[in-house]
Amino acid sequence: MAHHDRSTSTAAAIGLGLRAPHVAEVLSTRPRIGWFEIHAENYFTGGPAWAELDAVRRDYPVSLHGVGLSLGSADGVSDVHLARLADLARRAEPFLISEHLSWSTADGVYLNDLLPLPYTEEALAIVAANIDRAQDVLGRRILIENPSRYLRYRHSTLSEPEFLTELVRRTGCGILCDVNNIYVSAKNLGFDAARTIAALDPAAVGEIHLAGHSSCERGGRTVLIDDHGSEVSLLVWALYHLAIERFGLVPSLIEWDTDIPDFTTLLAEARRAERAAQESLVVGDAQPA
Amino acid sequence: MLSLRELESAFGAWILHGTESPALAELVAPNGWPVEERLDIYRNNVFASLTKALASTFPAVSRLVDERFFAYAAHEFIRSRPPRESCLAAYGAEFPDFLGGFPPCRELAYLADVARLEWLMQQAAQAGELPALAPAALAAVPEDEAQHIVFGLQPSIAYLRSSFPVDRIWAANQSCEASEETITLDAGGASLEVRRAGGQITYRRLDQASFAFRAALGAGVPLGAAADAALAEDADFDLACALPALFLDRAVVSIGLERDLLSGGQHECP
Repeated sequence: MAHHDRSTSTAAAIGLGLRAPHVAEVLSTRPRIGWFEIHAENYFTGGPAWAELDAVRRDYPVSLHGVGLSLGSADGVSDVHLARLADLARRAEPFLISEHLSWSTADGVYLNDLLPLPYTEEALAIVAANIDRAQDVLGRRILIENPSRYLRYRHSTLSEPEFLTELVRRTGCGILCDVNNIYVSAKNLGFDAARTIAALDPAAVGEIHLAGHSSCERGGRTVLIDDHGSEVSLLVWALYHLAIERFGLVPSLIEWDTDIPDFTTLLAEARRAERAAQESLVVGDAQPA
Repeated sequence: MLSLRELESAFGAWILHGTESPALAELVAPNGWPVEERLDIYRNNVFASLTKALASTFPAVSRLVDERFFAYAAHEFIRSRPPRESCLAAYGAEFPDFLGGFPPCRELAYLADVARLEWLMQQAAQAGELPALAPAALAAVPEDEAQHIVFGLQPSIAYLRSSFPVDRIWAANQSCEASEETITLDAGGASLEVRRAGGQITYRRLDQASFAFRAALGAGVPLGAAADAALAEDADFDLACALPALFLDRAVVSIGLERDLLSGGQHECP
């Protein structure tokens, strides 16, 4: 019985990123999945997108994931963007809202990528002020995701977990732990992924992201690119086990954004995540307190 | 040492314009790779993602010029007109004009108009659909003010006139497979009405007079002047048919009078 309860709650914890090619199929077949996450900016146009969102929302909990707020911008966050996000949040009533520890806008230009921040006291003050402002306008806590990184700044004085922990302390935000991003960054920058997970406060982690990455050769070196275009890799699943053992059963998401496969493939990944989470919880139980 | 604002500004300028910044390069730890290669990954991501966004808004243009040329044109466009906001569905309004003035596209004179059609279709796909008014709504307007009526049309409706058969060019470029159809560019232009209806994005050809009439109303021109514009195209234009047809197409969502003639506020201007 206890096992049954656990598998039910595990299934409810696993979500999928909802992408345009799958919406019609999801609405007509109502697959068994705990929840869906949508990219906020895709719904900023309102109109038919909102009608579609209402239909999804009738059957599933929804999480709102932003990619363009640019919380790391020294110029501050855009009032227009925040107002649109707040409108959408009123409409979608998401159970989670998340954004990234990165910047996308400089000198008024939106660069459409999650660009890296130096982890300095100066950046900490700027990001904390931007999160405060976002949480004020939204009227709720948001989760901040660790981005995939391809470079490290020499003048960083804090590690990424230290930076995130301090943001949580200053603003009351939570952490979205992207396990794939930790793996990609660790390989590209040469740090220990498992230690990074161990350095995050379980009480602050409100969501986990999982996705595939690719690797390419540049000048004889292997670079991992966070393209969300394949299945989750074996070593990322291993890190996911670690994460669930440490953080407990937090909502976990499969993301797939390029070379989007048919929906059945995504569901199969979600089922793998369910099994992985269950196994990790059993291991976690077996360990001495 | 750069402040965060200076760092972001230098990084952005490097991505978009390749502006070298020794101060930025100095801050990046090589960790065994050349600093430029690390920065390059970000530059590639930015251009690849924005090019993909443009290709999804302008798929027929992308097929007409082939993928590599499209990427080149998109790259030049992104550099000169980068997005100013994060909603990428709103990015690319200036792309048709850019293509029209892009020297390597000079021989593809129709390309800018195909892009204009795709932009309008993309806008229509996002537009809301409002309840349409019945012709009876006109009864509220005093007879002697009929010339001054202005109409609010469905937000998705837009008008495009091209001296090329852009509708046929667009239709022939809906898949990567070569179309059997041969389109003669001097076969004449097209005057199109684009809209969303019942979840579908549609366009259709209008005759010159109907196009002049509807495009004028869509631009907020009052009924009398819109009818004059139609009559200038075709002396046989019949307002008594054209006006009910507009309602039957479920195109009208509000009616009002020209602002300066409004009295008592009983009519709502769109």
